[in-house]
Amino acid sequence: MNCKDCSEKLDRFVDRELNSTEVLELQLHLESCPDCQDHYEFEAHLKRLVKHSCECDTPPAFRDKLRQLLT
Amino acid sequence: MAESPARTAFAEEALTHLDTLYRGALRLTRDPDQAQDLVQEAYLRALRYQHSYQQGTNMKAWLFAIMRNLFWDRFRGSRKEDVSLDDVGEFVLYDKLKDEGARPEADVLDKLAASEVVKAVEKLPPLHREVVLLVDVEGFSYKDAAQTLGVPIGTVMSRLHRARQQLQRSLYDYAVESGIVRANGGQQVQQ
Repeated sequence: MNCKDCSEKLDRFVDRELNSTEVLELQLHLESCPDCQDHYEFEAHLKRLVKHSCECDTPPAFRDKLRQLLT
Repeated sequence: MAESPARTAFAEEALTHLDTLYRGALRLTRDPDQAQDLVQEAYLRALRYQHSYQQGTNMKAWLFAIMRNLFWDRFRGSRKEDVSLDDVGEFVLYDKLKDEGARPEADVLDKLAASEVVKAVEKLPPLHREVVLLVDVEGFSYKDAAQTLGVPIGTVMSRLHRARQQLQRSLYDYAVESGIVRANGGQQVQQ
């Protein structure tokens, strides 16, 4: 695998959508390529940032109201 | 009115996914009151069509599908037309930061305010926003996201790709405006 192939598969790797053979190939490449490893860590970090930023709790009063309405 | 034990048990199980539905509704409507209306309506509809849920399948995806279909029907009109991101162009934030010497690139991410990330997500056209919500925020597989949205997996992948490009462009613009990075080859500003 070269850096271009790695870059093309990085999104699916971060999303855990590659098959086991592709994962192995990509991991082997990352171990030997600090630039791609750096890029991978950046994309994984960005995905976590989006997740954590968008997380929020349901307002408790709404939760109670809904439970009362439905059960 | 006393509810049947089966209906109550179904409602209780469905309520374990409330946070996912509320988060999704809030990001889609961008309004807490509208989000609550949408979620309540979705749950009432889910109970009405309880018989159409197949035990053992993904209840979270089933509920999310009901909620987002209601969103498109009630809040956006039934036509799922959307702003195209076809012309957004390739934009990879990592490459952009690397080119501009903002190293280490991940430090820039640490300086982005969560509220700005939410703004960037909410700026995405809804058809693209909902894919980011499912895959990035809720951790759905492409297959589950495709099933939830009623589109082929390839459509999920292409919308996700374009959404991420647009999202990264928005975050980059914010990073430049707020002085986290300087455009055109400048050094990273220490904060």
